[in-house]
Formats: sequence, C-alpha cells, structure tokens
Amino acid sequence: MLWVDKYRPKTLDHVMVHDLIAQNLKKLVTEQDCPHLLFYGPSGSGKKTLIMALLRQMFGPGAEKVKVENRTWKVDAGSRSIDIELTTLQSANHTEISPSDAGFQDRYVVQEIIKDMAKNRPIDTKGKKGGFKVLVLNDVDKLSREAQHSLRRTMEKYSAYCRLILCCNSSSRVTEAIRSRCLNVRINAPSEEQIADVLEFIGKKEGLQLPSGFAARIAEKSNRNLRRAILSFETCRVQQYPFTSKQAIPPMDWEEYISEIASDIMKEQSPKRLFQVRGKLYELLINCIPPEIILKRLVYELLRKLDDELKHEVCHWASYYEHRMRLGQKAIFHIEAFVAKFMSVYKSFLIATFG
Amino acid sequence: MSKRNNVVLLSSDDDDGSINRSLSSNHCYKTKPKLKNSTTSRRLKKPRLSTSQTRFSILHQINLLDEDFNEMFTGSKVSPDTQRSSTLEQWVDKYKPCSLEELAVHKKKVEEVKSWFEERLKASKGVYKNNVLVISGQAGVGKSAAIHVIASHLGAAVCGWNTPTPVLWQEHLYNSGAGAQYTSKLDEFENFVERIRKYGIISTSFTGESKPSAILLIDDLPMTNGKAAFGRLKDCLQLLVYSTQIPTAILFTDYGNTDSADYNARCLEELQLSLESSGACKVAFNPITTNSIKKTLFRICQMEHRDVSADHVDNIAKASGGDIRHAITSLQFFCLKPNQVHSLSLFTHSPGVLKDECNKPVRSNDGYYLHYGRDETLSLFHALGKFLHNKRETQSSIEYDQDSFLIQERFSRLPLKMDVPEKILCQSHAQPGLVTGFLHENVLDFLDDEAIDDAWTLSSYLGDADILLAKLRGMLSSDSDTGSVLQSAAASVAVRGVLFGNSQPLSSRWHTIRRPQLWHVEKASLHKKNEMLRLRFPACKCLSSYHISVMATEYMPISKLLGNRACGVYHEPHQELLKNMDMEDVGFDQMSLYEQLETSDDDIEDW
Repeated sequence: MLWVDKYRPKTLDHVMVHDLIAQNLKKLVTEQDCPHLLFYGPSGSGKKTLIMALLRQMFGPGAEKVKVENRTWKVDAGSRSIDIELTTLQSANHTEISPSDAGFQDRYVVQEIIKDMAKNRPIDTKGKKGGFKVLVLNDVDKLSREAQHSLRRTMEKYSAYCRLILCCNSSSRVTEAIRSRCLNVRINAPSEEQIADVLEFIGKKEGLQLPSGFAARIAEKSNRNLRRAILSFETCRVQQYPFTSKQAIPPMDWEEYISEIASDIMKEQSPKRLFQVRGKLYELLINCIPPEIILKRLVYELLRKLDDELKHEVCHWASYYEHRMRLGQKAIFHIEAFVAKFMSVYKSFLIATFG
Repeated sequence: MSKRNNVVLLSSDDDDGSINRSLSSNHCYKTKPKLKNSTTSRRLKKPRLSTSQTRFSILHQINLLDEDFNEMFTGSKVSPDTQRSSTLEQWVDKYKPCSLEELAVHKKKVEEVKSWFEERLKASKGVYKNNVLVISGQAGVGKSAAIHVIASHLGAAVCGWNTPTPVLWQEHLYNSGAGAQYTSKLDEFENFVERIRKYGIISTSFTGESKPSAILLIDDLPMTNGKAAFGRLKDCLQLLVYSTQIPTAILFTDYGNTDSADYNARCLEELQLSLESSGACKVAFNPITTNSIKKTLFRICQMEHRDVSADHVDNIAKASGGDIRHAITSLQFFCLKPNQVHSLSLFTHSPGVLKDECNKPVRSNDGYYLHYGRDETLSLFHALGKFLHNKRETQSSIEYDQDSFLIQERFSRLPLKMDVPEKILCQSHAQPGLVTGFLHENVLDFLDDEAIDDAWTLSSYLGDADILLAKLRGMLSSDSDTGSVLQSAAASVAVRGVLFGNSQPLSSRWHTIRRPQLWHVEKASLHKKNEMLRLRFPACKCLSSYHISVMATEYMPISKLLGNRACGVYHEPHQELLKNMDMEDVGFDQMSLYEQLETSDDDIEDW
C-alpha cells in the first residue's frame, strides 16, 4: 500500500493538517443535524480525507466497508432511453460517484441516482441517528450547468432522505443556488511547514532517518500538494536510502516534458516548430494530462524564462485561450493557438531588442 | 424480373408476358397502379415494371419504325389520359442507340465487350470457366445501352434482373390485408440467381423456338442493409460467377470519389473486388468524351429538326461531365422550353402576339441563364487542396472605386483564384468537423517558415471554428436548423480563417494531405483513460476514488518511478490491459482511411 493511503487519517481526531475544521465537523455531526456540505479547495489539500473521516464519524466503521460497483442506469430522456454506466463506491450508508464521468449526460445521472437512493431508504431500526443516506458527489464543478440545476431541484425534493456531500476544486464553477444550499467548507492547501510536519511524522513511523531540511525541500517542490509530497517522499525512499540532504527529488515526467516543450518554443519560432510542439502536446494528451494543467504548466515554464516586459502580455493570452478552451471541445486547437501567439509575440520582441 | 427481347424480334412479345407473369406473380398487382405515371418517366434503363413489359416493347418497336407515328401512338394508346406526353417523350429513350456506330462509348471498350460476348456465345458450354463480365462506370456512360446494342448485334436476347419496385410500408399493410406475402427483394434475387444457375434462362416458353443465345444482364443489385445482408448478396453473386453457364454482365455504377465515404458505395466496391477475385472479367467504362457527346447531340438535333447553336451544344456536353443521358435530357429541356410555351399558348393567344412574348425572356437570358449543367461535386481532398494551397491572383485587379470600403493594408488580400469558399465546401459535401480537423492537421505545412504571425491568426480562427462546433454539442438533436447553421458557420470560419491567415502563400509544391492525428490522439487517450479508471479503485484501496486528472498527473508517473513496488499493486489488471492495447494498436494501423473516419467520428460522439 502506498504511504498516501497507509497514513491517511481514518478519524476526525487523527487529522493533522486541518485539525480545526475536523473538530468543527465532529461537533456538527454529533449534534445530529447534518446539512448538505460542499467541500472545496485545491487538489491534494485533504478534502477526500476529511470526507471519509466524517463518514466514519457519522456511521461508524461500517462506512469503510465499501464495494465497487459498475452500475448501469436506464434513463428516460424524452424520446429515447439512454444507458449510462458509472462506477460507484457504496457502503450501507453512503454512495460515492463522479457524475462528470458520464460526460454531457451527467444531468440524468444525478437525478436518477438520488431518486434511486430515496426509494431504497435505509430502515432505521434503532430509532437513533441515521434515517438518511449520504451521497458523495465528486467534481461538482465539472458538472454541466444543466446538471447543476437538476441537482438543485433534487436537493430540495429529497432532502429528507439523503444528504449530499459535494466535493470540488473551485467553488466558482458551482452555481450560486447550490452553494447557498450547502454548508461551504473551504479546505486550504496545507502550508509547507504543515507538509514538512506530516512528512516527518511519516518518516518517524517508518523508522527513517531524515536529514534536516529534507522534508522541507520535498514540501517546497510539492507545490503545497500534500498527496504529491507524500508520493515523492516515497519515491525518494525507493530510489535512495539512506537519504542524503542533496538528494534529487524526482519531478513528474510530464512536467519535465512540458519544460522541454517550453525550451523548444523559446529556441525557435516557426510554423515548423509549432508543428513539432503539436506532436509533443498530443503525447501529453494521450497520457490524459488534462489540457488545463498542460496550459498552466506551460505558461509557468515559459514565464520562468521570459523577460519581465512580456510576462503581462503572455499571461493575458494564456488566460484568453484557457477561456476559449473551456468553450470549445478540442483543447489542442486552443493550446496551439496560445503557443502560436506566444511565438509571434516573442519573435517580434526578439527582433525589436536584438534587431 | 423482366425479360425483354431486342428490337428486331417482334414475335416473342407474347412470351415475354407469360414469363413475367409466371416469374413474378407476387408483385404483379401492386405495381399496376403506377403504370400510367411511369410512361413519362421512362429512361434509358429498361422499365422496372414487369407487367407493363408487353406494352412497352410494342411501344419501343414501333418507336423505331416511325417516330411521328409513334408520338401519336404513345399519346393515344399507352397513356390516353396524359395528352401532353406526346411532346414530353424522352429523347433519351427515343434516340437510344440501336447500332454499334451510334453508341457513344469508346470504340475499343465496345469492341472488348463485344468480342467477349461473341466468344462465349459461339463456344459450346463449359469451354469458358468465367462467364461473368463486370462492367463499371459512372452513371450515364451507356453501360446498359452498350449491352443491349451488342446483344442485338450478336442476335442474342437480353434477359435480366431488374430490381422490383420497393414496397412501401402502407402498401405492405394493404397487401398483407389482401393476403399477399411479402418477400424480401434480396430473397427474390437469390431465388432468381439460383434458378439461373440451375436451369439457365431457357425456361418453358423458349423451348419451341430457335433462340439459343441469350445474355444475362444484372443491372440493379438489390439494396442491402447491414453486414449480414451484404454477405448474402456477396455469396450469392460469387456462386453465380462460379457456376453460371450463360454469359452474364453485371453492371456497377461508380459514384466517383466524392461519395466514397458512403457505406453503400464502399459495399459496391467490395463486391466488385470479390467478383473479380472469383474470376469475373472487368471492364471499366470511362466517362464519355465531350466530343462524342457533342456528336450524339448534333445527331439528335438534326433528327428533331431543332436548330441549336454549336455553343450551346458545346456547353451542354461540357457540363454533363461525361453523362450522356444527362446531356440528352438537358438538350431536350433546352429545346423544349420555348416551344412548349408556344404550343400551350396557341390555344389562348393569337399567334402574332405570342411569338414576341415568349421568345423574349429566352433571348435575353441566353447569355448567362442557361442551367444545363449539373451540380459539380468535388472530392474532399480536392477541396482541401484548394483551401490549403490558397491560390490567389498575382496582383489585385480591383480598382478601388468609391463604393468599396477601404481596408487596412494588413487586412487586405489578393483576390482568390477559386470560387467562394462556401460553394466549394458545399460541393465537397464534407462535414464541418472533418474539414476543420483536416485543415488543422495540414495547414502548417503550407506556411512560410517565417510566418509565425500567420500561424497564430490561423490557429485562432480554427479555435473559433472549434468553439462554434462545440456549441452544437449542448443542443443535441433538438434544434437541427440552428445546428446546421452553426455547423456551416464553423466550416466557413475555419476555411476563411485558413485562407485569410496564410497571407503569403507558398508557391505550390507537392504536399500529401495527412489525416488528422487528432483522431488517433483522442482514441488513444480515451483508451488510456479507461485503463486508468480501471486502476483507480485498486490504487486507492477502496476507501475513496481519485479523480482521473490526479491519476494521470500523480499516480501514474509515480507508479512508474516506484517500479517494482507499485507493480505489485497494479499487477493483475496491467497484464490484461497490455494485451488489449496491443490488439487495438494493430487494428489501428490496418484501418483504412474511411473506416478511420467512421470510427473516430463515433468515438467523438461517445466521448
């Protein structure tokens, strides 16, 4: 088992990073009145961990007994019926799905599943807490607008039977209507010190000797992403132990690849080079690196090498093309347009400066 | 299922009728009501209505004896209710070639086909193993006409399969109410072929006659829908090739390259190949040359006593694109217009007034209003080539007059040396998404090495087109009108963007046009995504699931770095996946372009 999973805090009491939030959540659940929740924050900040710990707090250890199920929903969409296949994680008391996997048919999924859950209401034998199920929805921000609207309706209609826990990276793409119906919980990215603390904790548990400053270096490289920090920590352990303080922290291969693309772009600005860059971008897309991340990283790499004078303009175009990428459907068109624009800007800059 | 003698023989008419009745009893009556309309719409191909055969052949024979008489005759006998038809009779039928000299097909081809039939008709049974000739050619190049003429030249009867008229659903309901059974056309065809193979065409009615030679002509193949039906047709035809004793001609109509993405056209191609591989001879008829079309047209003009100027004939011939049937029809149409008005108005107006009236519009329109062309089609690659090469006039010929608004120099381009881009798009019948994809893939090759600004303009426009196309997705099929407007707008933006963006087109040199790599990328990434989805649950030990982007950006690279340790975790599903991956890759390479088109389109739909 990877360390990320092995040292994931199981209960709210054990949470290290967001301990205040964890305590609040605990209070919230013990008072028996659980509203809908919306967790949002950057990737690798511990949203999922908190949700799992919360579920355990609500339902006891039973919440950890989950089974994976590939389910097919038959949905009646106007004139025809569609089959939608989704993978769910289910325990007796909760279901977790990522409705955005269903693509643009997501709106059917959300409604259908919630109805389904409402139908199979758990029978409350002890008369104690419960009487409702919890539905965990991942990537709510990736849901289409229609799906979010249909979610809003069902939230109201079935609120007696089920609670929703929504999870997303950015609340800005969740409609106001949904946000106002939930208790919003913002999960910050952990600070580098916090990450270093966690790494040292893991090191202690594993019985490793950490040179001073090593954990801090990994934390620094991790971009304040705890999961990533732990993953690279483990990679370092596999690659070389005992650790040395100068040890290289392996970067992600795709990041290296993008920095390669960036230096390609800086070296030559021509349609031919643009075509080569396209080939490399395709390579990244094949490996399912999300286009937004590619663009973001590419801009980051380019900016590092760029004269200050141009940075503003480049950022402007990057955001312009990111917006267009979201409007469009084929990301490569827009990433490539950005690269072309950058080349054009950079080339005229070079000509202006050096003649 | 009709049987028709060549024109010389008057005597076998009665036989025709009886054979028809015996062979095709099940769809006789349902075709009857259509009989009257069909007289006017009869074409070069033989009529498909079996019961009407007798009358038609009478008609046809007399047709040749005396045209004037014939006009009255058809008017009175065959379609007594449609008086107009005397003038509307189609020249295509009227001037059907009846000798080898009149045939507009190239002499050598005719000779080739003729000698092929001659040899087989003379030789005794079993000498030749292959008795099937496949004739292909685009529509209207005289395939069936050639067979008929050659048959009559050799004194052989042409016996043929003509597709029966399809049964409409309402008809079927009506028929089944009346107790008639419905048989699939494919079944009928299979039966027909079976019979031919076993008994030849010498059926009962022929026994008494001294008419040994016959040619089997299979003109229209039954439509097939789906793989299974197609397979049946293929097997059936192959059997025919292997075992038939009668010289047989199978006609295939090529649809040109333009429609080759079409499923049916591809089937036909496959069918042709399979026939050839099983031993059938093949003759391909080329489009008829402009000159021989012109010759034929002049001959008809002479016989009709019409005075059509050489220019017009020339235009008609050129516009027909090698389709002689079309050329004749447009000639008829061209000649018809003024005269028909004339004859109709005879009854209402005094002749003096009318002549000026009705000749005026024709005369004034003469120069530019002649629509005897048919719509040209372009292949996708031709159209793409036009856009990518971006040929322009060398210098602007337009003087800026006061009306035209001035454009800044950086926005102005030299005039295009081609039609309006939208028209070309229209002619190429390509889907906007496809065009955009192809343009995106190939356009960078056509840019000057220095022109990175142009590259930006281009790719920005292509991005616009993509956004327009993406808007379409949300709407699904509810709004087809808006959808098609959006689609054409997208294609137009893409094409014009490419034309505008490439401000200094390279002098044209040879480029191959690649198919968009994007399709492959989309497919591969989809595959990878599925793979990761399967890994997702084992990876996170069933407590929760990671999002796919987390899997891609963090788990997969790390698991690669961790090597062995991680392999332990991922071991089982991995092997299986690798196997799948390999198999799919092989499939990829072997796929032809068109299959690629289809499958990747599907994928995009499913995405």
